[in-house]
Amino acid sequence: MTNASRASSITRRKLLKASAAGAALAVFPAPLIAQTKPFAGVTLHGASFQHRFFTLLAKYIPEFEDKTGMKVDLQLSALPVYNQQANLELSSGGSAYDFVNVTFTLATRWIAAGLLANLDEFTGDANLTPAEWNPKDFVDGAQVPYRDAKGATYGYSWEGGAMLMGLSRMDLMEKKGLKIPKTFAELQQVCAEINGTDGVSGLVSWFLHNWNLPPYIQGFGGNIFKNPPGDVMPALNTPEAIQGVEFYAKLLKSAPTGVLTYTEDQARQAMLTGRANIFIHSSAWVTPILLSDESKVKETSRVVRSPAGPVHDYPASNSQGLGIPKNAKNQKAAWEFIKWALSPEISMKLVREHGHSSICRRSIITSDDYRKLNTVNGQDLGALYLEVLEQPGKGENYMAYRTSKEFPIVGDVLNKAFEQVATGQLPAKDAMNAAQDQAIAALRRAGTKL
Amino acid sequence: MERRRFIAFALTPSLIVLFAVAVLPAIYLIVTSLTPFQLTTPGSATDFSEPLRNYRLLPGDPRFVNSLAVQAKLSVASVLFQVLLGMLLALLLNVPSRFVEFARTFFLIPMVLPPIVVAVIWKLIYAPDISPLYYAAQALHVTLPALTSSVDFALTSIVIADTWEWTPFTFLMVLAALQTIPDEYSEAALVDGANKLQIFWYVTLPFITPILVISGMFRLIDSVKAFPLIFLLTGGGPGTVTEVTNYYAYLLAFDTNEIGYSSAVTVVMLLLVCGISLGLVWMGRRKEALA
Repeated sequence: MTNASRASSITRRKLLKASAAGAALAVFPAPLIAQTKPFAGVTLHGASFQHRFFTLLAKYIPEFEDKTGMKVDLQLSALPVYNQQANLELSSGGSAYDFVNVTFTLATRWIAAGLLANLDEFTGDANLTPAEWNPKDFVDGAQVPYRDAKGATYGYSWEGGAMLMGLSRMDLMEKKGLKIPKTFAELQQVCAEINGTDGVSGLVSWFLHNWNLPPYIQGFGGNIFKNPPGDVMPALNTPEAIQGVEFYAKLLKSAPTGVLTYTEDQARQAMLTGRANIFIHSSAWVTPILLSDESKVKETSRVVRSPAGPVHDYPASNSQGLGIPKNAKNQKAAWEFIKWALSPEISMKLVREHGHSSICRRSIITSDDYRKLNTVNGQDLGALYLEVLEQPGKGENYMAYRTSKEFPIVGDVLNKAFEQVATGQLPAKDAMNAAQDQAIAALRRAGTKL
Repeated sequence: MERRRFIAFALTPSLIVLFAVAVLPAIYLIVTSLTPFQLTTPGSATDFSEPLRNYRLLPGDPRFVNSLAVQAKLSVASVLFQVLLGMLLALLLNVPSRFVEFARTFFLIPMVLPPIVVAVIWKLIYAPDISPLYYAAQALHVTLPALTSSVDFALTSIVIADTWEWTPFTFLMVLAALQTIPDEYSEAALVDGANKLQIFWYVTLPFITPILVISGMFRLIDSVKAFPLIFLLTGGGPGTVTEVTNYYAYLLAFDTNEIGYSSAVTVVMLLLVCGISLGLVWMGRRKEALA
């Protein structure tokens, strides 16, 4: 190739490039091209507590960053540490975070104090939220904590926990001619009959009594408050509450020694190794007993609905949400992240690629893929999970006690009172009368008008 | 004058740092205790409308009163055991032998472990389903109760763990004191016909008494900080059997968000510790003056 022809070819290439650029500009106007990375240069600051969901999500965040041009700085801490940080940051009107985990138990107080942005403004704007994102696809029961009295939404749930009953030794049950308990009375009987057989305890539980105990109080027709969230007068010494406390304390007599101070892990180990027969807890904990590789009771396990009380059948449930602080600097970018993180696509990826099933999108939970992955020993665990998660959204929101801002104080008093009953320090009636007085005094001290 | 100025100049940076890291937070704690500060109540941190409300409520709070009693039981029992055991060990190991010198270092291990490690070790010992203690008891056909969740044993289990952790401190202090006693005194007593018990009572004990008092004082002040053990082993339970004052303050601040009230509890604790320290210093000086 001569010098002359090389010069001519370079000129031609330049010409071609210039033509292509010109054509692109004509088809896509300049502002639209800039919008392909609409958040270029934005660093999005978010915070939550450590959870498998975020560990899995972190794998996909580079794709999101690449698509939007923003950088995501996600700060994860232990749950109590996160709650403190977020409480302090939000209540002081700070703008350090663009999105936050709206912790289930703190949701109502944050919403009531006006610390979170109304997400209806984002979902209601077609330019910000495409129709296919579909906010109504989130299971209603999981969304209840993130709504104010007028129905405005302040968070979308990324995780759901539904209380189910896991049984590890169906072989032992069958040998004794025992059926899966469906009522409190049957539960009591099965636990007592299994306890001590082959060194197996009737059931196991763990130390957070204010999570484990309320379904029994409610099962007998009681509640933690008179009528939450409107009337938060404690209702700890009603005959129904006392009955619930007595029942659960009696039930724990079939549990391993030291169960009062058991951690969740200790309880899980007791189940995995077949040393305890029944564990009633969130599906996220109970289900792995069936699915885990380390389980020694895979073949003899079942996961079913937890037993119903004589008055109500109110299995506990919870969810964790993502929201945007009222004073966040990059609200639109934060919404973009929430929209992406909770999109049907990412939710399905988490289920399909990682077996992470505790998501809150109904379309995914009811999909064939989800059902295939979550059917174990012939049981459709997804259907069970959905049934329990939805329950507080239908009719009475019986989980309202848990999201009342007064619950941490009353829950702490309840924990102490229950331990006094379970260890025989006080009869249930005396312990709960004292607890009622203490709860009222503590709430008044904290400024609650009763 | 020149010297004074130099000393003041040299001390200023340290005093500034001390003020910033110790005095300022303490002042802020006192200020906060005068408010109804709650993390989720905007403006409550600066509400001084009823400054003594928290302090007025404290005597009527049964959990606070109970926590003081639990703290007193825990402190007295653990300090007593630590001082007595530390002294006994020091007396036994105050022997000029290379092996004993080597063995002494093993006794110091619990003291140098991070408190959370100590708490985990004892959690394992007290956990019935995995504990070697329970396996041993089972082998001997003895049924042990759940130590950390039993009303009768929970506080004792904390005292045992705390004693295990801190006996080396008193052991070290007493051993150092024993090694400063001149041999002539006990030799003279032996010549006079004193037996070992009399030598201990009339010669050794008077020498080591000031060290025992100082060790006890340090441990008494430090026993208020038995937080990791309680947090990990009992969570203050069962009920409020092991709920000491600092654990109650922790629950108020971090579980129920009552920062103002929790600060008032903490200020009372601070005053009590200061009072005990000053009392012990005063007692020590009075004893010196009488001597």
